[in-house]
Amino acid sequence: MATELTRRKFLMALAATGLSLRLPSLMAASTGETITRTIPSSGETLPAIGMGTWRTFNVGGDQYLIDQRTDVLKTFFDLGGTLVDSSPMYGSAAEVMGEALDTLNARDKLFSATKIWTGDGDATREQDRASRRKWGIERFDLQQVHNLVAWQAHLETLQQMKANGEVRYVGITTSHGRRHGDFERIMEAEPLDFVQLTYNVLDREAEERLLPLARERGIAVIVNRPFQGGSLFQRFQSEPLPSWAGEAGCGNWAEFFLKFILSHPAVTCAIPATTKVEHMKENMGAMVGPLPDEQQRSQMADYVAGL
Amino acid sequence: MDSNWLSYSLSDFLMFGPEVFLRLFVRINQDIWPWQGIAVIMVVAIGALLVRGDILARRGILLLMAAAWLWSGAGFLMEYYGPVNLPATWFGWAFVLQGALLTVVALVWRWDTVAEQSAMARWSSGIGWVVIMGLSPLLTVAQSGNWHSVALFAVTPHVTALGAVPCMLVLPRRIRWLFLLLPLVWGLFSVATLWTLGTRVLVVIPAATLALAVLALLFSPRRAQNRG
Repeated sequence: MATELTRRKFLMALAATGLSLRLPSLMAASTGETITRTIPSSGETLPAIGMGTWRTFNVGGDQYLIDQRTDVLKTFFDLGGTLVDSSPMYGSAAEVMGEALDTLNARDKLFSATKIWTGDGDATREQDRASRRKWGIERFDLQQVHNLVAWQAHLETLQQMKANGEVRYVGITTSHGRRHGDFERIMEAEPLDFVQLTYNVLDREAEERLLPLARERGIAVIVNRPFQGGSLFQRFQSEPLPSWAGEAGCGNWAEFFLKFILSHPAVTCAIPATTKVEHMKENMGAMVGPLPDEQQRSQMADYVAGL
Repeated sequence: MDSNWLSYSLSDFLMFGPEVFLRLFVRINQDIWPWQGIAVIMVVAIGALLVRGDILARRGILLLMAAAWLWSGAGFLMEYYGPVNLPATWFGWAFVLQGALLTVVALVWRWDTVAEQSAMARWSSGIGWVVIMGLSPLLTVAQSGNWHSVALFAVTPHVTALGAVPCMLVLPRRIRWLFLLLPLVWGLFSVATLWTLGTRVLVVIPAATLALAVLALLFSPRRAQNRG
């Protein structure tokens, strides 16, 4: 039976086609469904986008900037984020975080993660205490040994602290792809809840050994430098997103970079850092809608490499 | 050496961005208003003392320079810059120490004779110094686009260190090198920091400080030395 194609029917069909392409994303957004991951050692769930504070929250006593960062943190919590990561290495970031948490009265929404960063292996508890005071919290959800500095001594103390209930989870960190050999050996030998490492669409060394090992050993993975410290935007933001980006659930470059990371099955959480509310909204957009499949991940990596 | 260290760059050690750094100048200007007038008077006074050029004037220059090191070290470096960049606190202590030492030298050093300079030389050094101290604070304004970020001599360390190097030429040569070390090290530190931050316009100030300090160390004019 022949059907006449009117202008009205054509436009309706076009609208339906467009809607169907966006449907998974729209459904996720409308139901408030966010992408969460499970911490293997406990079964606790975490939103898949966290927040880093490297460079962004070290603003000293600048009240104008503290207020701006508080707005960023508020947006993060409002959009369903919980994990905030910092380090004593990041200058005044911990004090600023404490002040922002005071202002927002939002410690109940927080999954607090920081690091031990001192070459003195006997100073683990002292630094933990100092960090807790700055954040204004009774205990950290996650304490990590920063860049493997004096890791044997710190890890031993952190494990004791975990056993005593002074910290909930213990982990180690690296960044920029450094010391992956040592990192791997520690992951194999030590009972870790979390590891934190650098992984993004260009820096993919972790795919070879560390990410598979994390899955095998049941270790949660936090990904730092998801935008390569911002350089991914500098390099690619002027370029168009591929025409198929929507099918992979990506409406902008932030979602493109973050969903590439989140779609790796070993990844628990990515921790982008930003100073702007608008950028935080874009980052949190990656926690909604479909994730790319294996074939789309390859396409994403190839597309970026070809630009 | 651990080859791992080779993978680090300067930016790995910088824990803040240009926005935070440029805001330091705005904040200190807001906080000390209207006492910037004292800094302006200090610049004019040092210029006038350079023109005068006798032993009493030299003591006055050194005392005013000492005050500038103390003010910028204890104020800008320790109170504002230090909380976001730990080495700035260490430099703050070094600035304070430099100010204290300079005060002692200004008060107790005995110049027996001072080489005569022509009026032309004295006037040009005095006016030249005031002009440079008047223009270099505007580089932070050019970098940030905000008039409130003007970086005054004695209030902020970069311009203070730049202004200090020519003033150290009034010191006897045998102790001059001691007071040129801090501008030299500060210049190196600041060039590296500001270049890494991407505040390229501002790099001019510590680069000039560095160049002048090296020249002053290598080519100290004999006429300025202590002959006592």
